[in-house]
This record gives sequence, structure tokens and C-alpha cells, in this order.
Amino acid sequence: MNEIKSPYKFVGTAPIRPDGVPKVTGVAKFGNDFTLPGTLHGKILRSPHAHALIKSIDTSKAEALPGVKAVMTAADFPDQNFAYVGPARVQVNFWHITRNIMAREKVLYDGHAVAAVAATSAAIAAEAISLIEVDYEVLPHVIDVDEAMAEDAPLLFEDMITRGVEPAPTKPSNVARNVVFEIGDIDAGFAEADEIVEGEYKTKPVHQGYIEPHACLARYDPDGQGELWSASQGHFVVRNLTAKIVGMKLGNLKVNPAEIGGGFGGKTVVYLEPVAMVLSKKAGAPVRLAMGRDEVFRATGPTSGASMWVKVGAKKDGTITAAQGVFKFQSGAFPGSPVMNACMCAFAPYDIPNQRAEGFDVVSNRPKAAAYRAPGSPISNFAAESTLDILAKKIGMDPLEFRQKNAAHIGTQTIAGPKLAHEGYSETVDAILEHPGYKAELGPNQGRGVASGYWFNGAGESGATVYVNADGTVVVATGSPDIGGSRASMAIMAAETLGIEYDQVRATVNDTTSVPYTHVTGGSRVTYASGMAVIGACEKVIEDLRARAAIIWDVDVDAVVWEDGHARPASSNVGDFDPLSLADIAAKAAATGGPIGTSNSVAAGGQAPGFCTQFVDVEVDPDTGKVTILRAVCAQDAGRAIHKGYVEGQMQGGVVQGIGWALNEEYIYDDKGRLSNAGFLDYRVPVASDLPFIETIVVEVPNPNHPFGVKGVGEVNICPTMAAIGNAIANAVGRRMDSLPMSPPKLLEALDHRDGGEL
Amino acid sequence: MEGDVTVRVVFTDGLSHLYTDGKKEFEIQARNLRGVIKALDAQYPGLAEHLEEETTVAIDGEIHESGNYVQPVREGSEVFFIPKLEGG
Repeated sequence: MNEIKSPYKFVGTAPIRPDGVPKVTGVAKFGNDFTLPGTLHGKILRSPHAHALIKSIDTSKAEALPGVKAVMTAADFPDQNFAYVGPARVQVNFWHITRNIMAREKVLYDGHAVAAVAATSAAIAAEAISLIEVDYEVLPHVIDVDEAMAEDAPLLFEDMITRGVEPAPTKPSNVARNVVFEIGDIDAGFAEADEIVEGEYKTKPVHQGYIEPHACLARYDPDGQGELWSASQGHFVVRNLTAKIVGMKLGNLKVNPAEIGGGFGGKTVVYLEPVAMVLSKKAGAPVRLAMGRDEVFRATGPTSGASMWVKVGAKKDGTITAAQGVFKFQSGAFPGSPVMNACMCAFAPYDIPNQRAEGFDVVSNRPKAAAYRAPGSPISNFAAESTLDILAKKIGMDPLEFRQKNAAHIGTQTIAGPKLAHEGYSETVDAILEHPGYKAELGPNQGRGVASGYWFNGAGESGATVYVNADGTVVVATGSPDIGGSRASMAIMAAETLGIEYDQVRATVNDTTSVPYTHVTGGSRVTYASGMAVIGACEKVIEDLRARAAIIWDVDVDAVVWEDGHARPASSNVGDFDPLSLADIAAKAAATGGPIGTSNSVAAGGQAPGFCTQFVDVEVDPDTGKVTILRAVCAQDAGRAIHKGYVEGQMQGGVVQGIGWALNEEYIYDDKGRLSNAGFLDYRVPVASDLPFIETIVVEVPNPNHPFGVKGVGEVNICPTMAAIGNAIANAVGRRMDSLPMSPPKLLEALDHRDGGEL
Repeated sequence: MEGDVTVRVVFTDGLSHLYTDGKKEFEIQARNLRGVIKALDAQYPGLAEHLEEETTVAIDGEIHESGNYVQPVREGSEVFFIPKLEGG
């Protein structure tokens, strides 16, 4: 077969990552690596109770301890108005946010911050924390989502009336919000079906599991200016949230990015930064604040646990006629789970004319949920794709052929409202169908499962600044923290656009005062949106370079073209000039108008959604219930891979996190609602020895709205994995696992009842 | 205005209940997204601010997360206002 020659020199290659050497040599600075002269050690006092009234806090003994420079409670933050602000799916309420950062009237989960100190040593800070006296009145607590929705459940907020229900309920409950999405006629759709399958499913909340705990350094100056160093997924968002919580002007707060040891959505919010800033203000000295692993587990956002019901109907020929789901999501201690996403993503890979999805956002005594890789989608996917698998069996179709028959295409009506505008799903199914392993023989207790997934992908606001140095090297600065290799991707797109070598481009992540506003590194948006900002800036630079060449040659700018990294005469009529390289023009910058460089901002739209299909082979040990992943193959539409290695890395990472979610990860609480496994020894994320090589198939259906065809690739890869594993287990041992994690004890229990009827 | 085309605007149930007395579909004359929003605001004063702050726009299925004013619309375009996106 003849390989199609790529039209690009660098796009689609996998050059050495610019952050590699600093990371492996220890030079790279992460959130806890920054210090300033006189830096104090911060420490947070956390609640030992899952739910309690705070009757009083006495900090006097801590304040009197020598070496203590500042003590604070929530009273040191200005209170916020109770108001939901912003778009429905990302709506926030600063009354809630400030209370999550530090409890006021009540503590709402084990680990909830109550007070903080800054001292001259870590030991003094720890001692000071132990001297703070909090008088609690312990209240009944509730953690499970179904229990939290029960009539007699303890209420986290005695005045919370469910939003989204008309007429509004008169009685308070833990249900913060109810949402419904519907297209077609759901009853008529089920009436058309020859086979209908329904099932109930549960997933556990799981943590993002980033290796680097939250950490920051804050300095508040006497003139009201402040500066932060913090590892986050968006230092502009850290600036905005911190300024709002502390009561500062945006212009008075500079936030510096750090290298980040993983985020996966969990570092798009703030926990420590406002506390460190207030401590610094009170102490008159810089304050460093860092969480231990136990604090990360007890007090930072996991994604929701859920209780779900899904029903799908199809004709005998495999045409799905109707799909319905009810999705109840734990939001943690404050409203705001990703249940709307779950509703919109559950059946999104398919063209189903009649759909209904209802979601419930439910508070309970756990840390507030934060975004986690395709927030909400993997959860509803587990229920939807497990049900589809059972239905395919009932109809007698290959599960992939069944999915392909119902695949969404351009023009498919989505439950969210608009019609689908991009292809890409069907191609991922084909990629798996054509994989030689898909038909390979399996042994005893082994099974193969498939599943597909959907994620919206994001775009939005990004800025970039591009400078040309006198020697022809180029600096590309963005405001996107580099989590998944964005510096390499930005350098590749800049080199391709400018026509210079990749190693002539230095890509950096700049602070909030030196690049235009840029939204978070999340939502699989950076290569798309920040990439467009970079490409646009490079195109502006090219216009400038042409103008400079025109000055040098004393011709009109229209007589100069930019080709392959050089200014050339547009035609022989212009005159006989040797081409000028970028370096040639840069060397004459002073004589032709001064330094060469520009900024560019975008509010990018036209992003295409992400689709992914996977197959997984498992072996179940009938004696122990342990599931071994024998093989995992992930086909994902990347639009166009900019850095092939990083795209494959994203795909493999998503599958690995999905394997952990599927098989082992869960929070274990004691009867008082205290977390019992707040560490990686007991909260079991996959390690290398648990995993096979994860095979990737990068499908490329270019997005015409991006100069290089990019689609976001960071998230959708996690969506199908849990269902694919559940489907594989069902095929291996004949038991349908409807509850995550599918851990050895649960599997043994299921196997013990093997004769009780299944599937 | 010269250059305006006719587009079909659709709101979700939630938005229509909140802001347009339950009306979900509109025919609007405009040339770009700014024109669409202005025309809707003329019918429901104050609506523009809500749309700009709270919604993502899909024009013929293409998502425009930030509701960029200058985004053009075509004759017969379908313009959906849906809740904004987030990600991990």
C-alpha cells in the first residue's frame, strides 16, 4: 500500500519534548519548589467530622505560640453573596466556594478546612494547629447518593430547594438541581422496539489521582499587590478565583505558573491560594502552603459517584429506537456535579431519534466534586454502554456491528439540541473492527468487551505572544499550563507555520502579566484553541517579516511572499533578490522598525467532538476474583495529531485511569463518615505491573475549522474503558457487573451466585 | 439591514422557561451572531446579557463556545443556544 505523503514537515511527528531534560534532572520547578526570603510555613486545620456545626473557634493559644506569625479562620475572608452565576453547566456560587475553601457555619466533610496558621517552621505550624480549639456539635451525616435523596436524609443545607423543578418543591432536600433533556417521543420509541433492556448501575467517586499534591507560595505586599506561584491547570483562573475570594483587584494579583504533576481536571479550582494569600497579608511575609497526600484525598475534588438507571430499545435488525436514562450524581458537599454532561454524553455516539435523560445533582458529606477527565461522561457511559452490550447480545449482533449500525453522523440530532456537525465516530469503530486482535481466540475465563465514548471537546479564549530573536530563534509564549505536552505542540505548529526548524522555537508558559488571558488547560481545548492563537500570531509575524523584507529590498510589500521560512520576490518582475531567511530579517530588525513580535488572542469556536472506541481482553481468576487486563486497544479520532507521541500518551493515560476506575479505585468510609484510605497504599490506582501495553490507533478525520485539522484528544479516551472491561468480564464469566469498582470481593460474590441467572 | 439573512434560533427548555416565557423557536434576520443576539434582546430586553454569559452557541451544529459576535450566519442557519461547556 502506498503511504500518503504528509503535507507537513513537523505536524504529525514526535520530536523531543522541551520540558523533558528539566524534569528528569530535577531542575523543573513544581508548585512546592518556590521560596522567597523569609517564607513562612502554612498549615491548615481540618475537620475530623463528616458533618458538624461549628459553635466556636478559639485561636488564642495558637496565636500565643512563639514563631506563629498569623492565624486565620473563614472570618478573615469577605463573605460572598448567595447567587448562582455563569453558564448552567459550569455555574458557580461564591457563597459555596468560599465555604469550601474554609468552613463557616458548618463543616460538611471529613477534612473540611476550618482554620490555618503561618509560622517560622513546619513543626511550629503543626503545633499551632493542635492548639486551635474548635467546639463542634456533631450532626448525622450521609454519603451515598441514594441515601442522600431519601426522605429522612440528614440535610446539608436546611434551606436548599431543588432548582429546575416546576413548581418549586416546598420542602428542602439534598437534591440541588434536576435537569431533563429530551428529543423525539420516548414512549413511541420504546413501542417500536422488538427488544428492550434496562438496568441499574452504580459508580463510586474516584479521585483524579495526580501525583503532585496541591501547593503554592503567596506574597501579599503592603501596597495591596500580591503574587502567587502555584501548580494549576490555569493560572488566570487561579488569579480570578483568588482575587474574588480574598477581595483583590485582578490587576493587583500576578500568578506565576509552575510545572504541574498532573491535574486531570482537579486543578481547575482553588483550595490553598486564597488561604496562603490571607496568611501572607496577616503575617507580612510570604507563605508557602502544601497539602499532604491525605489532605488531597480528604479535601479535594474527586468526581461524582452515581446511581443510574438506563433503558434502551431496538428493532430486531439492530436499529435503536429509544434510549432513556436517570442519572443521580453526588456533587459532594456543595452543589455542582457534572450530571448535565452525563445526560448529554450517555448516548451521544448514536443516532437515536427518541431519547430522554434526567439528572439529579445531589449534595452529600464528601469533598466537593471537581472536574475529572471528560467530567460526567465516563459515568453515564458505563451505564449506557453496558446496557447496549446486553441489547446487542439479545438481538444477536456483534457489539461493534450494532454500534456501527447506529453510529451518529453529520446531521444526527443530538439530545443537547444542535445537530452533529462532524464525523469521526464511525471511523473509530471501523478501526477496531479491522484490528486483527478483535477476532483473536480467547482462553478459559477470558473475555473481550467493547465500548465507545463521546466528549464535547472545548475551545474558547486563549492568547499567545510570539517574539523573533536577533539570531532567528523564536519564542512562543502562551498562558496554557503544559500538562499534556502543549509546549511541544505549540512549537511544532509555530515551526510549521513560520517554516523554520522545530529546534529554533522555544515554547514557554508565561505568567498572567505577560500573555493575554487564557482559559484553563482542560476540556481538551489547548492544542485547538491556544494552537489557533499561536498560528494566528505566527501569521501576523509573517506579515511583519514580509514588510521588513520589502523595506530591505525597497519594494512594495505585495511583491514579497513567505515560502518555506524565507521571504522571496513574488515574481521575476519584482527584481532579482536572494531569499531572506527569518534569521536574515531578524538581524536587521532595528533598521526595519524595531523588535519583531506580536500577540494574538482568539475566542475559538468550531471545535469538533471527540470519539473513541476500545476493546479490552480480560482474564478473571475464578478463585480470587482478580481481573487481569490482557489487552487494551484504543482507537480515537484526533482530527490531526500534532505531536503523535503526546496524542498516544493521552490515549494510554485515559485508558489507564479507566482501568483503575473500573477495577479498584474507591473511597472507604468508617461509620462516622471519616475516610479510611487517604493514601496511595490503600486507594489503589493502577501501577505499571497491573497493565498490558495499551495499543493506540490514532484515527484522523481532520476538523476543517482548525488550520491543521486538530480535534481535542485529552479526555474521551477514559470514557469507554469501564464499560469495555465490564462487558469483557460478562463475556469471560457470564456475570454482569453493574457496580464499580469491579474489585475481587465483588467478583467473587458474583461468581458465587453464578447459577442464579445473569446478564 | 442589508446583508441580513433569515436564521432559525432554538433555545433549550431551560432557557426558554427562564427568559422567553417558554417560547423555544424564533425566526431572526441577522448577518452574524451579534445581530442574532441584538434582535432577540429587542424582543426580550436583558436577554443578550444572559445569552452572552450563560450559553454556548451552535451554528449549524458547529459549537462556538465563547459566542463570538462576528461569527457569520447563513441563510437558513440553525442557531442553538445551549449551556456552556466545561472539561477536565
